[in-house]
Amino acid sequence: MNGELFLQQLLNGLTIGAVYALIALGYTMVYGTLQMINFAHGEVFMVGAYLGLSVMLVFGLAAPAPGGAAWLVMVIAAAAVGCALLGLLIERVAYRPLRKAPKLSVLITAIGVSFFLQNAVMLFYGAQDRYVPELLPARRMGEGAVSVTPMQGVIFAVSILLMAGLQWVVHGTKFGRGMRAVAQDPLAARLMGIPVDRVIAMTFAIGSALAGVGGVLFGSYYSTINFHDGYLVGLKAFTAAVLGGIGNLPGAMLGGLLLGLLEGLGAGYISAQWKNVFAFAVLIGVLLIRPHGLLGERLAERA
Amino acid sequence: MGSPLRRAGVFILLTLLAGCGKSEPVIKIGFVAPLTGDQAAHGADMLQGAQLALDEARAAGEIIPGYKVELAPLDDNRSPAQAVSAAKRLAADRDVLAVVGHLNSSCTKPASAIYYEARLLHLCPVSSNPEISRQGFDTFYRICPTDDLQGPAGVRYAVQKLGAKRIFVLDDMTTYGRGLANEFLGAAKGLPVEILGHEGITQGEKDFTPVLTKIKGLNPDLIYFAGMFPEAALLLKQKLKLGLSAKFLGGDGLFEPALIELATPEAAEGMSLTTLGGDIRSLPTAQRFVQAFEAKHGHLGAYSWYAYESTQIALEAIRRAGKKDRTAVIAAMKGMGSYSGILGLHTFDSKGDTSLRVIGIYTVRGGKFEFVEAVHPSPPEADPPLAGTSSG
Repeated sequence: MNGELFLQQLLNGLTIGAVYALIALGYTMVYGTLQMINFAHGEVFMVGAYLGLSVMLVFGLAAPAPGGAAWLVMVIAAAAVGCALLGLLIERVAYRPLRKAPKLSVLITAIGVSFFLQNAVMLFYGAQDRYVPELLPARRMGEGAVSVTPMQGVIFAVSILLMAGLQWVVHGTKFGRGMRAVAQDPLAARLMGIPVDRVIAMTFAIGSALAGVGGVLFGSYYSTINFHDGYLVGLKAFTAAVLGGIGNLPGAMLGGLLLGLLEGLGAGYISAQWKNVFAFAVLIGVLLIRPHGLLGERLAERA
Repeated sequence: MGSPLRRAGVFILLTLLAGCGKSEPVIKIGFVAPLTGDQAAHGADMLQGAQLALDEARAAGEIIPGYKVELAPLDDNRSPAQAVSAAKRLAADRDVLAVVGHLNSSCTKPASAIYYEARLLHLCPVSSNPEISRQGFDTFYRICPTDDLQGPAGVRYAVQKLGAKRIFVLDDMTTYGRGLANEFLGAAKGLPVEILGHEGITQGEKDFTPVLTKIKGLNPDLIYFAGMFPEAALLLKQKLKLGLSAKFLGGDGLFEPALIELATPEAAEGMSLTTLGGDIRSLPTAQRFVQAFEAKHGHLGAYSWYAYESTQIALEAIRRAGKKDRTAVIAAMKGMGSYSGILGLHTFDSKGDTSLRVIGIYTVRGGKFEFVEAVHPSPPEADPPLAGTSSG
């Protein structure tokens, strides 16, 4: 086995894995606080990619330029803010009215929101693949057989920063403590004077912002986006969240990276046509053998 | 949004009112292609071609006296399941006398069975999988050459003109892609070339770096991709980023300017592809079409002329049938046997395949498709011509 190629495969897998991890965080945060799977989350990611494209088009950004990195950060920030607002809106309009409804109603509503977002984007931006301009030069760094593009560097840097930031928010701030309290027991949290609705709304905002960032990174890395991109990527990120242990933040990060690696190595060394099978076989395997995931605690039935 | 709604309301009212009196009877030509989804660019080209043919025919006079002929466009979103449901809708609509359609072979194949059951004349513009016409449906007519010609033409071009000695084959695991890849591989057996491997990728996927990295390790001098342009664009792009210098050759599914835009001209530069038919711009019979289409849409859509030709043939069969009757249309089509259109003189064999079997070769230079040459492959087997052939 060729060492340089293996290193390349690791890098390939980690790049997409970092994007999965960012999106998986949103699934896992929402599950942690509400015990619901927000199936519209993949679509928030897709909207993030389109928001990024729109910002680029509005500012006439089309080609790699000296200030490309600064512009890219600006585009990422704009998409994060836009998706945070979208997350708040979805929570307020679609999920909060159903807080006391059976879980199945919320799940089906989430699927409805997902269809709505897909079709809204299709009507607004068109059904065809859209080209996303590359703000960073496409050339490879280094002269060796292993190739890393500047965009890959940005993906690693941004995801590590955001994951570290999220860890700090959850474990080092008052809001984070509130979030953990709501996750443990919403009723007790409310009795302790924690504004449960506001905490849940913020959870949606943060999770959606991370998905938005993931969307811009994904769009810029592959440089084409389509309105149904959220479906498969969202499903993979969900798989990553389950793999790591749904409800567990470090688990989502680990799950994302592992899933990316597994897909990359499986497609590279076994067979490319089974790439998605590897990902979803993991989902089935985890559910069968270790339903609480790699890092998740055993889920006790809540009274 | 208010005014189209109101207009729709008024329209519905008027139709209801008209129903009380007399309404002009219609004849419809069904049209199905991906009008949404990642391959919508192809579908849009085809629809514009079909519409142009109908507009021209209507301007020239009534096709069947007393009837208004219109197009019934449906979307299959390149999904075989949606293709079947679209086909069933057309089959159930008694106003539909013929169907032009489906882009992807994986859609055309199951749909063709429904048209056969419903005795609907089915003209296939671009689905090139040879299996479709081997099903033995007398309703099926195809105006493009098939992949048992395209695949061998591709491998000969790769070996003889591009000098390939080590080839890796990729396909998109669809009826079209896998079929074309297998034809390519079959024809490679007799040629001095080493096939390093054959792998499938999934349509709609974005990340092909794992398989490309594997290919890089095998060090081929050419990658052949049997699939469609959205995946090809990503492959070209990711190939460039991985520093994989092998040449790139594909089939007609890549013949779409959006490929160059999505891949960027830099990544697409120098890639080649085979097409179903020669250079449309150098065909004397197609000049009027090219001018009319460009005048209307500003560019020449890649699959537009196949849909144009198919629609014209459907119209001709309806005109000859002279009445609103599906079996009469099929009988008229059988009676025609051949048709002289913008692509040349089609003589249809017993399977409904055309005698026009030229494969074109294009390459990307300076961000544009450039015609290289036309190859005239010998037919793989001599099919008997359709009985009762008359010129038309």
